[in-house]
Amino acid sequence: MATQETTGDQLGRDAALRLQQLKGRLFEVALVAATLVGIVSLLALFAQIGSDAFQPESASATWFLVYLGTLVAPTAAFTLYARRRPAVRETNALAFAAVFGGLLLSAVTYVVVESLSPYDVFIYAAFAAVPPAVVVAYDRTTDGWAYTGPAIPASILVGIAAAALLYDVVRGPIGIAAGWIMYFGLVTVPAALLIGTLTASRRGRRSGIVVGGLVAGGGLAVAAASIVAGTNASLLVVFFSLFAVPTGYVLWRSVRTDPAGRVGVAGPFVLLGGALLGAAVVSQFGIQNPDTFLTPNLLLQSWDGLRAGNAGVYPQIVGSIVIVGFMAVLAFPVGIGAAVYLEEYAPDTGIRGRLATLLEINISNLAGVPSVVYGLLGLALFRRTLGLGTGVVISAAGTLGLLILPIVIVSTQEALRSVPDALRQGSYGMGASRWQTLREVVLPEAIPGTLTGTILALARAIGETAPLVIIAVATTKYSPPSGLFGSATALPLQIFAAASNAKPEFRHGVVPAAAVVLLILMLLMNATAIVIRNKYARET
Amino acid sequence: MSSESDEATPLRRSGFVVRKERFYGRLIATCAVLTIAVTVGIVLALSGQALSFWSQISPIDFFTGTNWSPVIANDYGVLPLVSGTLLVTVFSALIALPTGLAAAIYLSEYASDQARSILKPALEILAGVPTVIYGYMALVYITPFFKGIFPSLRTFNVLSASIVVGIMIIPMVSSISEDALSAVPDSLRQGGYGLGSTKFDVSTKIVVPSATSGIVASYVLAVSRAIGETMAVTMAMGMSPQMPYFPNVTQNLAESGQTITAAMVQIASADSLGSGPTYEAMFALGMTLFAITLTMNVLAELVRRRFREEY
Repeated sequence: MATQETTGDQLGRDAALRLQQLKGRLFEVALVAATLVGIVSLLALFAQIGSDAFQPESASATWFLVYLGTLVAPTAAFTLYARRRPAVRETNALAFAAVFGGLLLSAVTYVVVESLSPYDVFIYAAFAAVPPAVVVAYDRTTDGWAYTGPAIPASILVGIAAAALLYDVVRGPIGIAAGWIMYFGLVTVPAALLIGTLTASRRGRRSGIVVGGLVAGGGLAVAAASIVAGTNASLLVVFFSLFAVPTGYVLWRSVRTDPAGRVGVAGPFVLLGGALLGAAVVSQFGIQNPDTFLTPNLLLQSWDGLRAGNAGVYPQIVGSIVIVGFMAVLAFPVGIGAAVYLEEYAPDTGIRGRLATLLEINISNLAGVPSVVYGLLGLALFRRTLGLGTGVVISAAGTLGLLILPIVIVSTQEALRSVPDALRQGSYGMGASRWQTLREVVLPEAIPGTLTGTILALARAIGETAPLVIIAVATTKYSPPSGLFGSATALPLQIFAAASNAKPEFRHGVVPAAAVVLLILMLLMNATAIVIRNKYARET
Repeated sequence: MSSESDEATPLRRSGFVVRKERFYGRLIATCAVLTIAVTVGIVLALSGQALSFWSQISPIDFFTGTNWSPVIANDYGVLPLVSGTLLVTVFSALIALPTGLAAAIYLSEYASDQARSILKPALEILAGVPTVIYGYMALVYITPFFKGIFPSLRTFNVLSASIVVGIMIIPMVSSISEDALSAVPDSLRQGGYGLGSTKFDVSTKIVVPSATSGIVASYVLAVSRAIGETMAVTMAMGMSPQMPYFPNVTQNLAESGQTITAAMVQIASADSLGSGPTYEAMFALGMTLFAITLTMNVLAELVRRRFREEY
């Protein structure tokens, strides 16, 4: 009787236990499902966009097989090989960053400078660069001059002001020179100086001068060769200085100094070579290409609302890059300054302590203000108060700059907070002043964290649409912005405007392709931020 | 002799260095004070035009009117826009709040380190996608998909807009809630296990209640973000303001509507003159929006501070 009761009890307890277990398991499954539902639906939507833009079903099966053989399989094999060897993997990542970073940097520099006019950019850059160079040279000769620190930024400002004043005088004579000479001055000379200095610091002054001279001479040779061949000398000079030279330097150094990881250098070339080989095979055997909307036309043409094959987003891409680039110039100094004040200068107590608390609360509230409201602020500030034209680069950049300011401040604050206090105390202990400690110790430590956060803010800004609509930036324009006071347009605005175009080749073709371009731009920025963060995390 | 001067010199800086230090300090403080100027600028910019608008259209008509038709009928009743905003906010919150909390519980209590290192950044991507792309996807992919199931669905509808807004605010809930859940000390969990609780009980009856303040704050912030969302609702929900249907609530999902933000976009893209009551109405709407979101953000901060459990 008693035993029966216990078994009955036992059974009941077992059933209850099993029920408990079942409940726990179901709960966990529900949690996993909830975590994944957003990610999976976004992936499904991206797959739709990608398929509309790329039209994979229009390619023949052979096309996929060719690229599988030439591109996917070798790259996958190489990646697998590199994954197991840390040295190779690191060199591989470095080579990828150098090759694709160089390609991207050259393309962006050429396109932006070309749209702003190389002559203007050269005049302003030269006037801004010469005075600080003079100051630094004077500092070297006098063995430390007390005013060097404040004189450098001041001299840059003076130089820019002088450029603005003398622009009309200088523009005429400069305009006689060929365009490629401007690019030579803008990119080849700095590249030669940089590589020369790097080499000089490693292998002595003489090799530095030789290497710098080789780079400059190489730039001249490339320009001469392309003039003889009748191609675009400016473009080649930019690609030589910003792609070939830095990539060559990085890869050559890896091959020389890193015997274990040497093989990793081949990574990007396996990818590029595979793509070229695939294209060659496809055109050789007349294999059916996909009827894709991701064509060179999309990147090089301006918009055409009637024929999808002609529609491109070149002015929009350049506009987005110019707006976001200038926005960075406006927002970063202020954002970093504010963060430095809050973390390093502001006291905890007293009236100024209370002011700091107020500033913190204010910044977290600014981060929560809807982006349309920033649009209204931009409208009132730049159009009403400052009287700037409708939809010009400077007001778009200013509006977005105000919008990302809180993000820049918060991420810089986090980076500053992670700098150990011992470093500051050590610097103070050696007699450094507050500013010296900040400049020489704290900021260099905080730069990677700051960069990561601010690049993410840039990525957010490049996708912002609502404030630009409110300040009446044009949705469709047929040429890129001609200057900071020229009218601009941006990529997300074109997507917004074209969404109402109901023709199937737009709705399920060009517009998704433009969205893919925007997503790739953002992805590149995020990847840069992640690379910086990982490199930083490894070093500490 | 020499030791004396060694002690004295580093402390006494030259007048120039002191002035330089002070100058840099002020420069940096100016940057910080500029952020206050942004807030003041927003308030001034909005209130100037909005007050001029309310001197022409009485605020009572504005806040109680049930017809928004600024150009055709000269009617400036904000209630249809408010109800449009509320519909999207409520339906997107129905999607995002439970999902985000569940994701936060999973990430904080259940997930392995490896799973967390993949899922956390993946969730953050949901908030990083440009809203104009969300709007496009809602209009071109989600609406036709649901139209196959519910033929009565309009081309522009609240349902698709709410779905994408819901997706994009999930990370807001999950990341802030996860921070709150992870901040619950392990001793509470161990105590629960020591009393014979299952993981389910520990998660739902100990950890979640201990983190309530953070979870509520994340909810308020997510809702505030949904209220301020612009491009996705403009593109997916359309431009036809209307009052909600009662008592047939679900019918609202199939209909189109217009939010406060979408009305602002419509005015901005149509009106390039930069004057007149319609243009000023945009600022009045902005003022309303700013007041709502500011209240919610302050509320979230208060909840977080007031009800924070100190461990």
